[in-house]
Amino acid sequence: MKVRDLRAKSFKFVLSYIVIFALLTMALRFIQNRSWFLGFFFLISSFLVGYIYTLQKKVPSKYLLPGFLLLFLFHIYPAVFSGYVAFTNDSNGHQISKSDAIASIIESSNIPASDIPPIEFRAATEDSTKKLFVTFQYPAGKYWVGNTSTLREVGSANPTGFTILNFSQTQSMANDLGNIQVHMAGGLIFSPQDFKTLQAGKPVLVYNVAKDELTNIESGVVYRPNNNGQMVSAEGEALDPGWKQNVGLRNFTSIIQNKEIRKPLLAVLAWTIINAILIIILSFLFGLCLALIFNFPRLASKRIYRTIFIVPMAIPNVLSVLVWAGLFTTQTGVIDRLFHTDIPWLTDSLWARIAVLIVELWLTFPYMFLITTGAIQAIPKEVVEAAEIDGASVFKSFRMIKLPLVMRTLAPLLVASMAMALNNFGAIYLLTGGGPTFPNTNGNAGATDILISYTYKLAFNGQEGNNYGLASALSILNFILVGGISIYGLRRMKTMEGIN
Amino acid sequence: MKIYTFPDAKRRNFWFKKILWRHVVGIFVAAFALFPLLWMASAAFDVTGQLSTQHLIPTHHGLSNFSTLFGNKEKPFLTWVRNSLVIAFSAAAMQIVIGAAAAYPLSRQKFRGRKVTLTMILIVQMFPQLLAATTLFLIINSFGKTFAILGLGHQLPLIFIFGGGALGVNTWMLKGFFDTIPTEIDEAATIDGASHFLIFSRIIVPLAAPVFVVTSLLSFIGILNEYLITSVILGLDGRNMTVAVGLQQFIYGQYAKNWGPFAAGALLATIPVFTLFIFLQRFLVSGLVSGSAKG
Repeated sequence: MKVRDLRAKSFKFVLSYIVIFALLTMALRFIQNRSWFLGFFFLISSFLVGYIYTLQKKVPSKYLLPGFLLLFLFHIYPAVFSGYVAFTNDSNGHQISKSDAIASIIESSNIPASDIPPIEFRAATEDSTKKLFVTFQYPAGKYWVGNTSTLREVGSANPTGFTILNFSQTQSMANDLGNIQVHMAGGLIFSPQDFKTLQAGKPVLVYNVAKDELTNIESGVVYRPNNNGQMVSAEGEALDPGWKQNVGLRNFTSIIQNKEIRKPLLAVLAWTIINAILIIILSFLFGLCLALIFNFPRLASKRIYRTIFIVPMAIPNVLSVLVWAGLFTTQTGVIDRLFHTDIPWLTDSLWARIAVLIVELWLTFPYMFLITTGAIQAIPKEVVEAAEIDGASVFKSFRMIKLPLVMRTLAPLLVASMAMALNNFGAIYLLTGGGPTFPNTNGNAGATDILISYTYKLAFNGQEGNNYGLASALSILNFILVGGISIYGLRRMKTMEGIN
Repeated sequence: MKIYTFPDAKRRNFWFKKILWRHVVGIFVAAFALFPLLWMASAAFDVTGQLSTQHLIPTHHGLSNFSTLFGNKEKPFLTWVRNSLVIAFSAAAMQIVIGAAAAYPLSRQKFRGRKVTLTMILIVQMFPQLLAATTLFLIINSFGKTFAILGLGHQLPLIFIFGGGALGVNTWMLKGFFDTIPTEIDEAATIDGASHFLIFSRIIVPLAAPVFVVTSLLSFIGILNEYLITSVILGLDGRNMTVAVGLQQFIYGQYAKNWGPFAAGALLATIPVFTLFIFLQRFLVSGLVSGSAKG
C-alpha cells in the first residue's frame, strides 16, 4: 500500500513538473515573439499548475483548473478580445503594428540604385542546411554570402561550408533565386537580375521619425498618417500596408451614421429577431400538437411514428440543409417539380425567408416534439382525471391545466432554444448564403441574413476586404442581444416560479 | 387483469373516430421528416446524377456517383472523413474528460466559490463561442506566428477550441447526473481509505457511464456539424477541410453539376451518425426528457 502511494505521488510530481516546464517554455517563446498577452497567460498558468498540484492541499481546484484555463483561453478571452478589436480598425491591410507597416512600405518602395553597377554573383548552397545563398564581392575586397534572411561576411570568394553551384545547377534554381533579396547596410537591397548579376536597389521613401512622415526622395511627395492607420499624401494617395490602431467608437458610430451600413444592418437585425420568434412559436406549436396527437395510449404504432419524427435530429445538419438547398432550386429542384410550381425559392426575398422557416422548422420540431411529450407525460394523472371528473372539456383541460404545467417545465428550454435560434448560422448560411443580396450594400447583406451570418461575411467574405473591427463591433451587438434575451427569459422564469 | 373489449361495431367506430386521423397526420408528418433523407438517398444511386431529372425511384440506378466522388483528387472525400473523425473524436474526448473532472467537485464537495462557479458557467453558456469566431481567428493567427502547429490551417487549435469550451457545454448535465449517485457510496469508500481520485475514477465514472454515452455522442455530433469556426480556422484548402465544410464547398453554387456525387458523399457521412443515433435514441430521449422534467 505504502509503496503504491509513493509511486502514485512521485508520478504525480513528475507529471506536474513536465506540464509546468512545457507551459514555461511556451510562455518564453510567446514573450520572445512579443505576444505579450499569450506569454503572460502561459506564465500565470504554469505558476497556477505548480501551486495547485504540488503545494496546496485543496481538492476542488485540482479538478477545476484544466477546464478553467482552457475555458478562459478559448471562450472568455476571445469574447473579451472582441471588445478590444471592436475599437480598432483591424481589417485586411491593417493588421500589423505601425513600425512594421512603415518598414514594409519602405522596403517595397525599392528603385534601382543607378550609382551602383551590377555586381557579379555565384549561387551556392550551405552544406549543413542545403539552403540557397548568393556569394558576391561588394565593395571590392569584401566578400559576402547571404540570402533574404541572413547575411554573413566571409573571407574569400569560396566560403567554407558552402558548395558553389555550376551554371546549369543555378538555372534549375531559377524560382528560388528570383525570390532572394539580400539586405545590405544603408537600406540597400541586392536581388538577382539574371543568373550572373545582382541588381542593387534602394528605397525611394525615407521615414522621418520626429515629424512622423515619409518623403519620396525623387518626387518630393510627403506622406503623413491619416486617422485610419495609413500613410497618405496631400493628394490622397495611400500607401499599403496600413497598420492597426485604436479608432475609438468609430466602428459603432459608423453603424449608426453610415447609411450604407445602417440600412442593411437594421433589416438584418429585424429579421434576426423576427426569424427567431417565428421559428420558436411555429416549432413549439407544431411539436406540442404532435405530442398531444401521438401521446395516445391506444395508438399501437406511436413508437414507430416517434422514431420517424426524430429522424431530422439524426442527420448531420450541415448536410441536410445543403440537401434542402438543392431541393429548393427553382424549376429544376424537386419541390417545384413535385408541386408543378415555379416559385423563386432562394432568389426572391419573401420566398427565401419562407424556405428558411420551412428548413428551420424541419430542423427543430423533433426536439420540441420530444420535450413536450416528456413534459406532458410528467403531468400527474390525478390532475387531469380530477379535471375530467369536474366536467372540463378536452380543450379546457388542455388550456387550463396541461398547457400551464407544460410551459412551466419547458420555459428554460425554450429560452435556450431562443438563444440558439438567434444564432442559427448553419441553417441560413448554407441554405441561402444570407441572400438574396440587398442592392448597393456594404458587405453583401441579404434578405435572410441574421446578425451572425452578416458578421461572418463582413469578417471573412467581404467585398471590400475583411473588416475584423466592424465584425467584432457587430459581435458585441449580438452578444448584447443574446445575453439580454437570455437574462430577460431567466428573470421571467423566476417570477413565474414565484407565482405558481 | 381482464381487459374490457368493445363489441366489433363499436370498436370499428372508435378506430375511425380516434385512430384513423392520427394515422393521416402521422403519414404527412413522416413524409415531411423523411423528405430530404429520401431524396438524398435516391440521388446517390441515380446514375444520371442530375437534379433536374431526378425521380424518387431512380430509373437508372448504379454506383457511378460513388466512384465519381472517390475519384476526385482535388476534393478528397476520404481525407475529409479522416479529418472530421480525428477532430470530432479528440475534441469530444477532451470535452468529456474536462467536463467530468469539473462536475465531480461541483457535485461532491463543499467549497467556497462553488455557487459562483456554477453561475459563471451558466452565464458563459449564454455567449456561444460562435459569436467570437472573428477574434478566435485573430488569436489562432497569432498563435501560429510562434508555434506553427497551433496556427491557422492546423487541426490542433480547432480541437483545443472545441475541447476548451467544454466547461460551458457539459458540466451542468454531468453534475446533474452525479448528484443522483448516492453520496453514501463515496463516504464508505473514504472510510476505507480511498483517495478522491480513486473515488472519482473507480466509482463515480463507472456509475455515470450511460450519461457519458449520451454527452459524448451529442458532443461528437455537434462537432461534426460545426461549420463556421471549422471553416474559419482550417481554411478552405482542399486537404484541410472536414466533411461538413468540404461537401459545402463541393456543392455550393454547383447544384446542377455535382448533385449526384454530393448526395453520395452526404449519404455516406449520414449513415454512421444516423445508425448511432437511432441505436441510442432511447438514452437520448430519456436524457432530454428527464432534463426537461427537472426544469
